[in-house]
Amino acid sequence: MTVAPTMIPASEVRIGDRLRTRSGLELTVTRVDDVFMGRPEMLAFVEDSEVQWLKMPALGDNEVELVRRPGYSD
Amino acid sequence: MLVVNVASQCGLTPQYEGLERLQRRYGSEAFSVLGVPCNQFAGQEPGTPEEIQAFCATTYGMTFPLTDKLDVNGRHRHPLYGWLTSMPDVDGRAGEVEWNFEKFLVSPSAEIVARFRPPVEPEDERVIHAIEETLP
Repeated sequence: MTVAPTMIPASEVRIGDRLRTRSGLELTVTRVDDVFMGRPEMLAFVEDSEVQWLKMPALGDNEVELVRRPGYSD
Repeated sequence: MLVVNVASQCGLTPQYEGLERLQRRYGSEAFSVLGVPCNQFAGQEPGTPEEIQAFCATTYGMTFPLTDKLDVNGRHRHPLYGWLTSMPDVDGRAGEVEWNFEKFLVSPSAEIVARFRPPVEPEDERVIHAIEETLP
């Protein structure tokens, strides 16, 4: 059985959320940039950690795939 | 030299066409484009160096060199990018590379002379002017 991914509005992503990019890579958000390439309607989620530096942009009203949120069990 | 972090699956990937035209136009005049494959922007450069090279050669007829895949941001970024990102852009902002296809122009005397953010096309008149200013 295939489990549907959990999708949330990009505007509701929090620091600590684990997201999956469309390419399949995952990042744990350590920073949210509220403008992406000069476009205020876009956000960018960044993991800047010892493990990796990875950036994932999204339109604020689009949905992104949430893999895990701290404090919530699957 | 124009140093550009590249990715094969980005909306800006067609910038390879303009980069290759720059290479052909100025490549005989102490100038080269240097592509730096990087997978740090939404994982849009997932291939191996061999796959990236083959994609660029067959899709865009690329003749300029590519480095290995490098980190351009973060704690493990390559020292080249520690140096390049000290250069501010036209708005005075230094620091992290914003996205794929950010361009740094380095003079033959190894000075960083300009930084162009990703939306600036390779053949934008500002890029052309800056390149021609650096040529011997």
